[in-house]
Amino acid sequence: MLVTYHKHWQHYSRGSGYLNQLYGYLNSQFIHKQQHSEADINYGGFGIELQEQLLEIGALALDIWKRVMVEPLKENLAQLLLEEMEKDRRDGNVRQSIIHSVINSLVHVDEYKKKSPLKLYEDVFEVKFLRETGEYYHREALQLLDDCTCSEYMDKVIQRLDDEDMRSRKFLHPSSYCKVTKECEQKMVADHLAFLHSECRNMVAKEKRHDMSNLYRLLCPISKGLDIFVQDVKEHIKQEGLTAVASLKGDSVPSQFVESLLEVHAKYSDLITEVFKGDQHFIGALDKAFAAVINHRSNFKSNCRSPELVAKYCDSLLKKTAKGMSETEIDDKLSQSITIFRYLDDKDIYQRFYARMLAKRLIYTQFHSMDAEESMINRLKQACGYEFTNKLHRMFTDMSISSDLNSKFSDFCKEDSTDLGINFSILVLQAGAWPIGQNNLPTFAIPQELEKSVRMFEVFYGRHFNGRKLTWMHSFCNAELKLTYLKRPYIVTLGTFHMALLLPFNSSHSVSFRDLVDISRLPEKELLKQVQVLLDAKIIVSNESTATMDGVFSLNLEYTNKRTKFKIITSVQRETPQEVEQTMSNVDEDRKMYVQAAIVRTMKARKVLKHNALIQEVISQSRARFAPSISMIKKCIETLIDKQYIERSSTSTDEYSYIA
Amino acid sequence: MSNCRYTAVATWRWVANDDNCGICRMPFDGCCPDCKVPGDDCPLVWGRCSHCFHIHCIVKWLNSQQVHQLCPMCRQEWKFKE
Repeated sequence: MLVTYHKHWQHYSRGSGYLNQLYGYLNSQFIHKQQHSEADINYGGFGIELQEQLLEIGALALDIWKRVMVEPLKENLAQLLLEEMEKDRRDGNVRQSIIHSVINSLVHVDEYKKKSPLKLYEDVFEVKFLRETGEYYHREALQLLDDCTCSEYMDKVIQRLDDEDMRSRKFLHPSSYCKVTKECEQKMVADHLAFLHSECRNMVAKEKRHDMSNLYRLLCPISKGLDIFVQDVKEHIKQEGLTAVASLKGDSVPSQFVESLLEVHAKYSDLITEVFKGDQHFIGALDKAFAAVINHRSNFKSNCRSPELVAKYCDSLLKKTAKGMSETEIDDKLSQSITIFRYLDDKDIYQRFYARMLAKRLIYTQFHSMDAEESMINRLKQACGYEFTNKLHRMFTDMSISSDLNSKFSDFCKEDSTDLGINFSILVLQAGAWPIGQNNLPTFAIPQELEKSVRMFEVFYGRHFNGRKLTWMHSFCNAELKLTYLKRPYIVTLGTFHMALLLPFNSSHSVSFRDLVDISRLPEKELLKQVQVLLDAKIIVSNESTATMDGVFSLNLEYTNKRTKFKIITSVQRETPQEVEQTMSNVDEDRKMYVQAAIVRTMKARKVLKHNALIQEVISQSRARFAPSISMIKKCIETLIDKQYIERSSTSTDEYSYIA
Repeated sequence: MSNCRYTAVATWRWVANDDNCGICRMPFDGCCPDCKVPGDDCPLVWGRCSHCFHIHCIVKWLNSQQVHQLCPMCRQEWKFKE
């Protein structure tokens, strides 16, 4: 019957097309005038019933076909069409052109209507077809689920979806394409979400890329379909990250830490771009997972070590000792370390460590290149703002001011025609900007050999700047001594204290501990430590191997070293556990101030604010630097109430108001 | 043995006869309210009367005085100490 219908329809539609053209003049002159314009119809201006309108000849023909042919046959037609489609699904051997044209005829006959031209098509065929399709794929899905594993199932489903899409393109009207796809997805994917989700974890854990990309394709169009999948991916990345950094040992922990994390990060961002087409949900999951890994603390009380490790990693790259790496390599690694840095919660701890290590690099001129240092600071500035790198910038400024001062000072000496006797250079640092402790400096008498230079500089500085007081940071100074009493001359770089302890040997062969105390004026405890370092370096010898209060020391005249230039590392140059602790407590102090400032700022602007709102505001303000704990904020609020910056509001219990 | 090179490190801070600037009441170790960073960018100045202020503060004060330029602390005529 379809074939006959097709044949007649072909004839009829062509015929009516010709007729329509033949009566073109009639159409345009007579009928158009009779037809009301769209506006008239919409507003019903003339009260004429729509049925009475005259149709164009072509449209009239189509209408007759519809009434005479389609109406009585429609049940039959639809049934036959559905059977044909079913057959196509099974073996694909059908007469495509005929089915297409029959389906099209349903669309075509109503084409002239301005309102809902697809109504006939939808009523007669589409609705039934969709229902049929749904049922077919429902059965199909159940069948597949019984037979296949999840990954096979997904492959098959994707194949079916593609087939069905092709089929609708072959047979149907464009308006149905996405309806059909949606119906299929509903039956094959959405109805079996639980099954797919249960397989997620397994798939993600084994990182089956093919399966994951299939699953992504299937779940993507379904609302909330991705949630569990995203969650699983996040958990997986987090696990991977934690295992990557769990078992780090040895000297190079910082670089292992950063590099293994970067590796994991690169791997998964690659996976996300490739498998999930860079979907925002998954990028978000990666970010969350990484923030969790990096800020993970093994037990609740201990501090997270990541900021320290990342800072040390940067330090190791920026130090002169970073060998075998080109400038660009170092630069790359530094910019990658920013990736990790961005995830840090405690950026202020990082800043502290970074500042301290930068200070050491600058003072001991251990930095690799000034360009690398500056570009790193600019990166930090980009990530965290001007405030964050403020002090670091000032350290650089001091360095350049100091080199200026040095040349001015040498001019000053020339004019004064004073010979200092040594090559004297100085760094004058601004007290607040450098992370150098100014408190409990040990008493110390500078050796006579240097006294002249130091006094001279103080005079010079006093003349240049009004009202500034210099404090000598002896523990950071360093000197070069030429050792001429050995078989070959050595040049040794050492700290001021060590130098002061060695110089007395110029005048006498052996020196007792008491003498050293008298000469250097160092506190005994400190002195013991310093002497021990010299003993360990075998520069001086004693009858005992450890320094004691009543020891007597003499120079080691047998001293040899492979190098003619060497260093005796001062204790300041090494990182001590106390220093780490100190840094942490400094950070704590800073945080309290920061939180208090944030509270006052907020209260000043709002005047009256609820407790919770205030806490939210403070947290959001400090997010860029660290994540303050609620208890800390509460303590700060208490402090500010004591200091009478704010008070509890008299009307409500959980409200504060600002005291101007 | 002989000393051939010495690199000294020193820090500096302001020494004034007071802790706070008499005009803005900010500590001398800090900067005046108009500045962001203390130190070389926001220096101190001394008058002949030995009173000391942030340079930005005293200049602002002097500019606001029409007739006589007086030290805000002791009312003596303000002269910068050379």
